[in-house]
Amino acid sequence: MQESKIVFGKWETAALLINALNVQVFLNFPRTMAERGGTAGWILAAYISVLAFLLFLLISRLYSRFEGKDLLDLGEYIGGSAGRIIVGIIILIHITFIISIILREFAEDMKVISLPASPISFVILFFLSGMIAGAYAGIEAIVRFHAFIVPIILAGYLIIIGGVAPYYNISNIMPILGNGAYAIFGSGFFRISSFSGLIALFLLFPFIKTGKNFKSAGSLAIGISSGVLITSALTFLLVFPYPSAIEGFLPIFQLARLINYGRFFQRVESIFVMIWAIAALLYLSMGFFLIVYVFSKTFRLEYYRPLIIPMAIIVFAISLWPKNLMSAIAMETVYFRSAAWAVTFGMTLLLLLVAGAMKKRNHRKEGDRK
Amino acid sequence: MLANFRKTLARLFTFEEPKTKERFILKETEEEMAEGGQKEQDKKVEPRKKKNEGLQLNKKSGENEENKGPKPDISKALSENMERIKDIYSIPTNGDAVLREFDLVVKNKVIPAFMVFFDGMTDRKVINDDILQPLMLLSNLDIKSDEKSIADYIRSHILPHNQLKEFKAIEQVVQGVNFGGCGIFIDGVDSAFVADVKGWEHRAVERPNTEQTIRGPQEGFTELLRANTALIRKILNDEDLIAESLTIGRRSRTPCSMMYIKDITNDSLVKEVRRRLKSIKVDYLFDSGELEQLIEDSSFLPVPQIMVTERPDKAASMLAEGKVVVVMHGSPFALCMPVTNNELLHSPEDSYVRFPYANLLRFVRIMGVFLSLLLPGLYVAITNYHQEMIPTSLLFAIEASRERVPFPSVVEILIMEISFELIREAGIRIPGPIGPTLGIIGALILGQAAVAANIVSPILIIIVAVTGIGSFAIPNFALALGFRVLRYAYILLGAIAGFLGITTGLFLQGIWFVSEKSFGVPYMAPFASKTAGGIADQFARPPFWKQEKRADYMNVKDARKQPHISRGWKSQEGEDQKEEDDDAGK
Amino acid sequence: MKRTAAFLLMLAATCTLLSGCYDGKEIDDQTYVIAIGLDKGETNKLRMTLQYAIPLAMGSSGVSGGGGGGGGEGESKSIGSMTLECPSVYSGLNMVNNSVGKQVNLSHAKVMVFSEDLAKDGRMVMLTRAITRGKEFRPNMVVAVSRGSAEDYLKSIKPRQEADPSKYYELKFSGYKYTGFIDQTQLHDFFIKEESTGAQAVAALVGVNTKNSTKEFSVGESSAPQKNRPVPFEGDYLAGNLPKVGDIKGEAMGLAVFNGPKMVGELDGEESTHYLMVTGKYGHAYVTFPDPIKKDFYIVVNLKQSRRPTYKIKLVDGKPNIKVEIKLEADYMSIQSGINYESEYNDIFERSAEKYLEEGIKRLLNRTSAEFHSDIFGFGNQYKSRFLTWDQWKNFQWLDRYKNSTFEVAVDVKVRRTGLTIRNAPIQGSEGEVQSP
Repeated sequence: MQESKIVFGKWETAALLINALNVQVFLNFPRTMAERGGTAGWILAAYISVLAFLLFLLISRLYSRFEGKDLLDLGEYIGGSAGRIIVGIIILIHITFIISIILREFAEDMKVISLPASPISFVILFFLSGMIAGAYAGIEAIVRFHAFIVPIILAGYLIIIGGVAPYYNISNIMPILGNGAYAIFGSGFFRISSFSGLIALFLLFPFIKTGKNFKSAGSLAIGISSGVLITSALTFLLVFPYPSAIEGFLPIFQLARLINYGRFFQRVESIFVMIWAIAALLYLSMGFFLIVYVFSKTFRLEYYRPLIIPMAIIVFAISLWPKNLMSAIAMETVYFRSAAWAVTFGMTLLLLLVAGAMKKRNHRKEGDRK
Repeated sequence: MLANFRKTLARLFTFEEPKTKERFILKETEEEMAEGGQKEQDKKVEPRKKKNEGLQLNKKSGENEENKGPKPDISKALSENMERIKDIYSIPTNGDAVLREFDLVVKNKVIPAFMVFFDGMTDRKVINDDILQPLMLLSNLDIKSDEKSIADYIRSHILPHNQLKEFKAIEQVVQGVNFGGCGIFIDGVDSAFVADVKGWEHRAVERPNTEQTIRGPQEGFTELLRANTALIRKILNDEDLIAESLTIGRRSRTPCSMMYIKDITNDSLVKEVRRRLKSIKVDYLFDSGELEQLIEDSSFLPVPQIMVTERPDKAASMLAEGKVVVVMHGSPFALCMPVTNNELLHSPEDSYVRFPYANLLRFVRIMGVFLSLLLPGLYVAITNYHQEMIPTSLLFAIEASRERVPFPSVVEILIMEISFELIREAGIRIPGPIGPTLGIIGALILGQAAVAANIVSPILIIIVAVTGIGSFAIPNFALALGFRVLRYAYILLGAIAGFLGITTGLFLQGIWFVSEKSFGVPYMAPFASKTAGGIADQFARPPFWKQEKRADYMNVKDARKQPHISRGWKSQEGEDQKEEDDDAGK
Repeated sequence: MKRTAAFLLMLAATCTLLSGCYDGKEIDDQTYVIAIGLDKGETNKLRMTLQYAIPLAMGSSGVSGGGGGGGGEGESKSIGSMTLECPSVYSGLNMVNNSVGKQVNLSHAKVMVFSEDLAKDGRMVMLTRAITRGKEFRPNMVVAVSRGSAEDYLKSIKPRQEADPSKYYELKFSGYKYTGFIDQTQLHDFFIKEESTGAQAVAALVGVNTKNSTKEFSVGESSAPQKNRPVPFEGDYLAGNLPKVGDIKGEAMGLAVFNGPKMVGELDGEESTHYLMVTGKYGHAYVTFPDPIKKDFYIVVNLKQSRRPTYKIKLVDGKPNIKVEIKLEADYMSIQSGINYESEYNDIFERSAEKYLEEGIKRLLNRTSAEFHSDIFGFGNQYKSRFLTWDQWKNFQWLDRYKNSTFEVAVDVKVRRTGLTIRNAPIQGSEGEVQSP
């Protein structure tokens, strides 16, 4: 690959991951949390953050023996070309579906928020053009742009969170355990899929090079993201009490709508549209790049750029599959977000464990030979 | 035409293997990678004499040219040479080419000779006093030493002129003469002398016109190459400042000077600039603006990738940052490279005024950029798509003022923007004293009349005016131009899809800018591709004593500008350290 | 690179082709509704009154609005209104668009007024729930209940001080910060409280004052007789019956209390003040107290809420016992009797003021539980923290239990400042020092 010379710094990688993990906040993460955890949705968010962090530590420990190798390389290590292709196809299906559905959701939400009369394909085209441009410019540009924009997105997010402070009502997050301990700590476990964006890190390891950067960028990203995820769920619940909270759609938009300071500074949610759209564009272009990158790597293609247009058409087509907004949300929340953990964490751990065992055995064999 | 279109269309959907082209990336210097900057000081202590030679019009490159240059073809017969010169300069058709024949006497031998120069480009007095007089009169004097050849004799005894070169090839002589020299041919000598007697009319050093500051030096570059290099050298006073001479232009052979500070600037950068300059093949060059377009990385990027400055102090400070400055003969604008988007927003004044105010200035300038780039687009987007976010009273004011306007707001704003561009363009073209008057007419009368005639709404005049003011606040003229172009894209995007359009535009622009490089330096450094000290040192401006390091992305040989404690009086320790530094420097 | 550029250009071209600017609407192609009134219809479900701004008449642009200065007597030209009967709000908007040239836009609507009968039969709550789905209805739009018809109320609003009529509504409904007579009941709040399991909703009460001359004033209209007051205090009125004549007939005073979807009662101005004190939203206002020493005289203070109130809620025999502590600060504004409360009798005043407020607040609290069965203060939300899970709390059925609540109120009044006077000197006359009559 012509890109393999590129190396990212710690912050750049972390910025990429922060956006990948937090973009769901702008969709319906807070609402899902509220739905599952009731008034304790924020505890659920904190719980899965801790879980994700522990899992990440485990993975990065296992990964230390395979520095600079991504999941595809691991697949190849285990099962040769067949292994690589199997892993590649699983990842490809996973990312393609997530990106397509999220593309659709973003476009639908944008339509609801500010372009009610425009056809959905028109709105999707805007996002698609960003994705294509991002993929053409390559991962280096995407990552650099993340490093530049993510702080701005975070600042915008903080303004929204801080702006609704007059509406906070502590009693809204009582009773403290919400839907009960089992809903949070038991079945809530599968919500760890919220961190499935981490797969980007496992796929971009060759660009990160050192295991130290891998670990610190991952930890930093999970740290900041969990801060954002927890505050988003918490703020949403503080402002919208539990039963009303799960009614609304686009939680952060609903929060932004409330901001008002005096007669002048109100109705600023349209500014939020900008932050929201740029986060979406970053995320989608990153995801889209991963699709073409994984595809080209899986099938050992020398160039990825020719894949961009066909892939874009596929993603565009898939994004138009769901009949309506509700089924898009349902597909995202029910299916992907609860099954995505299996790909991100399950498959990664499996690959690492098998590869680790094989490496040990090979090592021993070599030792025997000597 | 159609076939061409079909070909393009086919190219869009088929795949061609891209030609692999190594893109220049400014990497850390080898020394830096190997030993980490610390060893620089040893390197500094190079023999000094050698350096001084470097100062004199780059002997090295001259030699180079001689080696591989044209064949020595000056004949020993004077008449032959004269015929060739007459042929080359089309004498006597060419009115300002002067060919003067004379005789000189060496060792009691009368030797015919002639000289050739351009009238007007040379200094008559110098030719008369320092060349003709000695040759014709002094050659009679009694000679004490016994020189072997006439050429040596003339050079070492007869011609007292300070810049005298001897060439074997006619072509070199012609070049010298073309550039204000005086060629001297002597019978029986198979070489010719070129005396530098430039004396053409030129502008004196004046205040810079386009980059004015309140504090700081008030000199600007002129059209003379040597005057410009001298202006820079005068500021830096550093023997490590190298001014490599290059000639560009197959016909014009315009002399250029590539300047850098030897022990700061990254070698690979110097090499890359030299490579690009040398590879240029055009007939003539008229201004550094053309040179800029020939060596910049991307012609399609709307913003400049080379900083153009009229101020010697700015060029000097760029050199001190480890950049390369190219000065071209005939252009009062020096080119500084590489440059990042962020640096284009800096003004020399930033470092001359005190730090609190400098930061305010920078902030205001960033505002200016955003206003000039986005304000009209945002106005269209907000008024067409996001009316809810306008404060109600303002909304009603806009509604009332737009009520009688027959155009949609996009058309309205395009009309105003274009007429504003017209005023601006006309203001530049109109002869001096009328210029400002036209500005007033344009701004006041036209705006007022347009409002009164209900062609545009008064709010819009404010938008356009603020946008214009914003673009004037950008210190770099070319950058302001770039944003002016992009502004129209944002107006259209805002009209098509409101904030979504504008955000998509920002995203595309961002991806585009981020993937560009200026001479191997990421264009959006230090933010996108984050480097150390990005915000604190490059975006904001710390107090002068805290600006300790050169920009990280420049990968210079010597990263430190000043020691950690640069104000010795602040602490005793500092003073000690300073002394140590001085010692080390010597 | 070239191909990229070409592709992007093509994409951009398709975008423009596709667009035709679907959603782009010019500001001057729309008319902005600033207030919506809903009544029961005669021939249809609803009677909707839309009040919209006429910016051209505001004379703000100054270009050719020169003639606007004259302004008809009592007639504000900056507002237009339209009433129609329709099955629902959105269908009504559609119908309005048939006669209004510009498209009706609700994104700047400031207030939504429902008539009392809509509120009482539960349709108001249904309607508000239905409209929160729409993006155009702002969550911080004020929801109000009109005593009498909403149409009349909106028609009575003819702001003449404000060039922009929306400003009138915005300022009027944020005036509770210095009057304490209403609450700025925003759509968001109203909606959330309607669905809350620990609080019930209130809405600002508005009305039209029909008096044309001062002769029509009567004490009977006020709630003073029920409170055993010979003379009504400033807060003893409901919207629409203030003893007042003037240009502006519309009034906002008091609160409508809801139990579930239905409006069950009204609070007068004073009770609204107490409501704000208990919920901690009270800003500051002039409050009249009877003089503790010389009856028949009044002491007026500027009362401020310095801290948030604290609540202690416990269950006694399954009945909630609610203890509220309120801390207030006061500045003397006027002491009619001339007694030096500033120095000697400060304590006396403070105690009597506390007692007076405690009584008032207790009366209100008892009224909400016994008469309205409605926890408008959100005590339930405070009590919620005692529970661990949502199901426990839900099964507790707070809103049902509230009607059996008992209350304890502790008010703490501290006088901090005395205005410009620090001591009253006696008035001198030919008979020497005159004690105030």
